[in-house]
Amino acid sequence: MARILIPTPLRQFAEKNDNVEVAGATVGEVLTALTTRFPDLKKNLYNDEGKLRSFVNVYLNDEDIRYTGKEATAVTDADTLSIVPSIAGGAHVG
Amino acid sequence: MMHIERGPWREMVNHAQAVYPNECCGAMLGRIDGDNKTVSVAMVLDNVSQGSQAARYELRPEDLLKADREARARGLDMIGIYHSHPDCDAYFSETDLKNSCPWYSFVVMSVQKGTFNHANSWLPNAEQTHAEKEELTWPES
Ligand SMILES: [Zn+2]
Repeated sequence: MARILIPTPLRQFAEKNDNVEVAGATVGEVLTALTTRFPDLKKNLYNDEGKLRSFVNVYLNDEDIRYTGKEATAVTDADTLSIVPSIAGGAHVG
Repeated sequence: MMHIERGPWREMVNHAQAVYPNECCGAMLGRIDGDNKTVSVAMVLDNVSQGSQAARYELRPEDLLKADREARARGLDMIGIYHSHPDCDAYFSETDLKNSCPWYSFVVMSVQKGTFNHANSWLPNAEQTHAEKEELTWPES
């Protein structure tokens, strides 16, 4: 089973676990297994259209899955997934 | 509420003043006990915004991954993100809101003419439409 690291603020939705092991052959399957087990995590990670929220990045070990095949990326038992936000900003509008 | 300890606070102020007139950014690690957050470590991170950084900042996701790993290695929690507003007040701007993440506290530091002036902490919502002000204290506040 692959390991998923849960960011601090989301642990409250995952029974306080800081990491969780779930089954799945792809990143998509692993994320589905995770949000099935902890339904409250789902609205934090996905929008109403069922897409990962714009600020959510998923890393398979050290690689952004956006560049490895997105949710179809293959996962093995030795892999660790991390949930990492996108953050930017600026003082002025526009 | 959030409290920032003397060590990390000094680093954050120094960082904000050092990169003035540009915006600085970094991560804050510490402990969360219910609604009480205490920042004990500040991690200076790169502003990778393309073009002028006088009114923009952007963090590398890889650096946030590093900050999360650092927190785990030290047995701490990742509490939030800080950035500065050169010659602007410490409000949470529309740009800040549209590029935020609701999981973390966002400390904004106002730097006026190169010197730290005031700071606020903000909690954005998941829809990126609103940010709630969070009570923030630091050693000289
Ligand atoms: Zn800002």
